[in-house]
Amino acid sequence: MAIIEIENLTYRYPHTSQPALRDLSLQIEPGEFVAIVGANGAGKSTLCYTLTGFVPHFFQGELSGRVHVAGLETKEHPLEDIVLVSGLVFQNPFNQISGAKFTVYDEIAFGLENLGVPREDMPARIERAMALTGITAMAERSPYALSGGQQQRVALASMLVMEPQVLVLDEPTSQLDPLGSREVFAVIRELSREGMTVVMAEHKLEWVAQFADRVLVLADGQLVLSGPPAEVLTSPLLETYHIGQTRYTTVARRLQAENGWPAGQPLPVTLEEAEAGFKAALIK
Amino acid sequence: MQDKLSFYIHRDSPLHRLNPLTKLTLTFSLILMGFLAPGYWTATFIFLVVLLPFSVWGKISPEFTRTTFRLILPLTLFLFGMQSLFYPGGKTVLFSFWIFSVKLEGVQFAYLTASRIMNMVGSFLLLLLSTHPSTLMTALTQRGLPPSLTYIIVSTLQILPQMRNKANTIIDAQRSRGLETQGSLRRRFGALLPLVGPLVFGSLVDVEERAIALEARAFKAKRIKTSLLLIPDSPAQSGFRLGLIALTMLAIGSRLWF
Amino acid sequence: MPNAAARGRAGSSNLDPLSLQMDTDAHRQKIVDRNLSTIFYLPSTIFLSVSIYGLYLWLRKNCMRIHIDNLHFTYPSGVRALQGVSLTIEPGEQVAIVGQNGAGKTTLVRHLNGLLLPSSGTVHIGDWLTRDSSVAKLAARVGYVFQNPDDQLFKGNVRDEVKFGPANLGFTPEQIETQVDEALARLELSEKAAVNPYDLTPTWRKRVAIAAILAMDTPIIILDEPTTGQDYYSVQHLAGLIQHLRQQGKTVIAISHDIDFVAENFDRIVVMGQGRVLLDGPAEAIFAEEEILNSTYVQPPQLARLAGRLDLGQVVYTVDGFLAAYRQRNPAVSPVKPPISGG
Repeated sequence: MAIIEIENLTYRYPHTSQPALRDLSLQIEPGEFVAIVGANGAGKSTLCYTLTGFVPHFFQGELSGRVHVAGLETKEHPLEDIVLVSGLVFQNPFNQISGAKFTVYDEIAFGLENLGVPREDMPARIERAMALTGITAMAERSPYALSGGQQQRVALASMLVMEPQVLVLDEPTSQLDPLGSREVFAVIRELSREGMTVVMAEHKLEWVAQFADRVLVLADGQLVLSGPPAEVLTSPLLETYHIGQTRYTTVARRLQAENGWPAGQPLPVTLEEAEAGFKAALIK
Repeated sequence: MQDKLSFYIHRDSPLHRLNPLTKLTLTFSLILMGFLAPGYWTATFIFLVVLLPFSVWGKISPEFTRTTFRLILPLTLFLFGMQSLFYPGGKTVLFSFWIFSVKLEGVQFAYLTASRIMNMVGSFLLLLLSTHPSTLMTALTQRGLPPSLTYIIVSTLQILPQMRNKANTIIDAQRSRGLETQGSLRRRFGALLPLVGPLVFGSLVDVEERAIALEARAFKAKRIKTSLLLIPDSPAQSGFRLGLIALTMLAIGSRLWF
Repeated sequence: MPNAAARGRAGSSNLDPLSLQMDTDAHRQKIVDRNLSTIFYLPSTIFLSVSIYGLYLWLRKNCMRIHIDNLHFTYPSGVRALQGVSLTIEPGEQVAIVGQNGAGKTTLVRHLNGLLLPSSGTVHIGDWLTRDSSVAKLAARVGYVFQNPDDQLFKGNVRDEVKFGPANLGFTPEQIETQVDEALARLELSEKAAVNPYDLTPTWRKRVAIAAILAMDTPIIILDEPTTGQDYYSVQHLAGLIQHLRQQGKTVIAISHDIDFVAENFDRIVVMGQGRVLLDGPAEAIFAEEEILNSTYVQPPQLARLAGRLDLGQVVYTVDGFLAAYRQRNPAVSPVKPPISGG
């Protein structure tokens, strides 16, 4: 039973003439790690907002079709119900700090306070969220004194503490340095391994290739490709959608064009696949 | 770099442990009594006999007296001087120079006003030095203050210093495009829009994102909010607050009836 | 002889054949003299002109050399951000600066246009010492594209925004129009010139910010994290732009976390860590130093890592470089090979 079901979704922001998403249909199973790739403007952020209810409740506009997330039909439930089951983390770590709290610990508690969770229950949940995101040591520090990667992990913890069923991430590492990206991806991978359903919009294809169970390609508001990374990220159609490929794919494709790539060996998208493929090319 | 606007100094003292509402009530009572209670020396009395000892009790007397000297004293001296010189009426001239004459009544009035203001600022200072803004706001929210208002006040304390960083970055960016920020008033005025424009527009973008983040944390949920922070209260304090309110009523009453 | 010629000339109506002959001789001598001087003076004039022009060019080139000498910088908060950085960047070089956040990259480039002044040490932009020049003055030589375009956009339309910089620098109206048009065209913004920058998506706002600096026509351009948040198409476009700037002889300095982008577009890479320059050189030299790169959390490019796994023995970082090294190592895998039968 799919945890996310979208049927014929078309959505237009207010005061715009073109829909941001057109006739989109997809299904995501519980525990899947789905990556969304696409050129800027293709609709990745809009899809992320749709999965968390901000479209249509926050942005208004016109939405047609069905969006069903973790048992809730998003059009028919208020935003405050949807955010409980579907958590959103987006690009800018700084804007996700509430500003209402002076320590990381209190910041994470903020969501629980809003939900009316009894005080006795809070410490356990907060500590678990901090452990999951590796920020226990920073509990007493001000969120504003942290690095971007640390702040983003605080944002993640702040969402996780509310125990959502789905985690939606809109380019969570685009503002981070390589170390911060690594830290954040490690947390997300661990969450996925523990069974969380993760939907992540991302440009960094190497990471997508490593982590995602499935890749969705958006172009001009439409879903144009869907499948496992090895298949989607090596598709020759990517060029038309202004999406690149990992260097591993590029270099293997070049060799393939010169008949140097072993027949039947799929084009690689990760370092490991490339290593295996190039070694196999030697054996031939 | 200070990353929040706050006077709060963390000490382990009985004053710090008092319920914030008690301290808030105390602050307003002392201010009102200072202004309204009869007696020429009332405000001075409150300052010396209530505020200063309380600051010692709160282990913040060094900061209290230091800030008093630096902040309050110059202000009150200025007021004192202004009132003394420009007090209308009055007959007893103490001394005069040029076109100004300092009259006794003026000096008396000036001292009265100055001591009341010093009392007011001192009361607020006592409150702010010994009470964490978070604690104060939580206490007020629990008593019915709208959460949105609480949020606005507390977040301003933290976000305003961050906006200063943003403003500095904008200044740097525009200077890097050849904008002169030094020089004549006219030039500085012309530099205003390139500096304020990005700040305002950029902030609009930030504000929208922050609103989304807040909603994602159920801020607008129509539930009764709980608090991680346990703010201790006691019947003694409760009684003390009532007593203060009664005293203040008396002070107000004394004005009406006498 | 001169006297005879003089006498001959003095009495010009004298038609004495000898004096006529002498006149002609003198005349011929003059012509010969003149030709001789031409033959002598022309090359030397040319040589002199060329030398002077060459000197001017050399001066102008060296005018734009960036010279950083033992730069130390400590922030007012006490953070020692730069601890003895010495660096020279010749005019026309393309340099990428990489390293973890906090290594001092942004602090360093802020010294180049005077936003920061050294605590000790000197920074020269050509013959200008940054300590003696204002930021606005240095803006004529150093264009700095900030990371967040929203930190500079304030005009009601793209064209006015792009005009702001060159107008401040005092170009003539004609020059400004030309430079603005070129910058807009280069960033594919010509059709959007009348749009409010804040009506554009963040990706396009970034292009406006770049155009705004390009229009200033500075010999040195600094790009602070130009690829952050950009999609594949924009990154390709940026690579093309850097190529174009290289052809124009501009010095380009970029701070970037995208190591693949850096490897493919920059001749020289400076690796910073803890306020110091750890490595400085061409990509081959840099990516071989794995330990140092690790210390500042810089990961080698994808192909360099693959080459390492395959033991190709060379440092590679481009597609062509990789394939060449791969074939070198494995001659059996030749470029033109018939389809494998029975694979």
